[in-house]
Amino acid sequence: MMKNCEYQQIDPRALSVSPLSAQSHAEKTVQRCRRKWEVFPGKNRFFCDGRIILASQSGVLPLTLGLIVVTCGLFFAFDCPFLVKHLTVFIPVIGGTLFVFVVFSLLRTSFTDPGILPRATPDEAADIEKQIDTSGSSTYRPPPRTKEILINQQVVKLKYCFTCKMFRPPRTSHCSLCDNCVERFDHHCPWVGNCVGKRNYRFFYSFIISLSFLTSFIFGCVITHITLRSQEGKSLVQSIQESPARYPYYTSIHIIC
Amino acid sequence: MAETHSLQDMRQQAAVAAKVFLQRDYTNGTVCQFQTKFPSELETRIEKQQFEETLRMLNNLYAEAEKLGSQSYIEGCLACLTAYTVFLCMETHYEKVLKKVAKYIQEQNDKIYAPRGLLLTDPIERGLRVIEVTIFEDRSLTR
Repeated sequence: MMKNCEYQQIDPRALSVSPLSAQSHAEKTVQRCRRKWEVFPGKNRFFCDGRIILASQSGVLPLTLGLIVVTCGLFFAFDCPFLVKHLTVFIPVIGGTLFVFVVFSLLRTSFTDPGILPRATPDEAADIEKQIDTSGSSTYRPPPRTKEILINQQVVKLKYCFTCKMFRPPRTSHCSLCDNCVERFDHHCPWVGNCVGKRNYRFFYSFIISLSFLTSFIFGCVITHITLRSQEGKSLVQSIQESPARYPYYTSIHIIC
Repeated sequence: MAETHSLQDMRQQAAVAAKVFLQRDYTNGTVCQFQTKFPSELETRIEKQQFEETLRMLNNLYAEAEKLGSQSYIEGCLACLTAYTVFLCMETHYEKVLKKVAKYIQEQNDKIYAPRGLLLTDPIERGLRVIEVTIFEDRSLTR
């Protein structure tokens, strides 16, 4: 929905407009047209000419990325050489693939529009207002308006959003952090730094699943590493002391996951 | 919002008489369908049949976009296996149909609605919630 404004235009002069307004129309076309993301009313931030969208605060996204990169870095640096020697060369290959999956999914989730609904235009808002009884005074905010519709013969209540000035479609919610109505709103995830909604749910889900696989894989490899080391004649405690004390990182990742 | 270079701003040159909003039709579930009831404000401007034909075509296109066939299934599986990186190279079936919708609306506007002083706005611009029909003041001298 964050499209640019380039499209074919119908020449308004086809509607027999007076010459004066046609001239000012020509002047207006010389003005630079502003992109939708430049005048976006919500609290999101945009980068790369509108291709990347983020929430107003990035939350703990840098921390999430940092934890994942550091954990995997330590895994590749210390566990992989040992395991490649003793087991198979596929260990870093699988680890690398999973790592790439996790990072791609995370970035896609963070940088994709979750399904933000554009706010109602003033004309539409006025049209909706007309259709609702407004018997209260203008200073008093009326109670939340609801509209009942029938979906497959079941009555569903649609709530009115005062910020976006429209009746929210079913399963749409307003995110107060991003100040947008989001379709099929799940939650605003601080780890990812964005809302999770209809359009980025698949990326979020693949992020969670691949992260679970990655952490289980690293956990398994680490256990194998320690076991193999202790089998080489040394005790378990000694082998943990030997390989660097990176296990706090792993445990924290598991807890978070 | 008033500063965006939208067709509506351009159209301010020709005075807007009214706007009609066609809401979504949820009777068959949450699939994207619009109500085909002919609004009374358009009675003098366009034939009922023509308008309903346009709406029916739009509803069919949206139904086609959301159809779950073998193509969408393969697309989904492929995307899942490649961590959705294929979407950087190719368009989804849904996006392709949305482009068809945009072209269809453009065509309808050029051929049928503009000569009658009407303008259909692509519902994607409004988040697939309404179809906005702008009615311009009837200044045409030859009808």
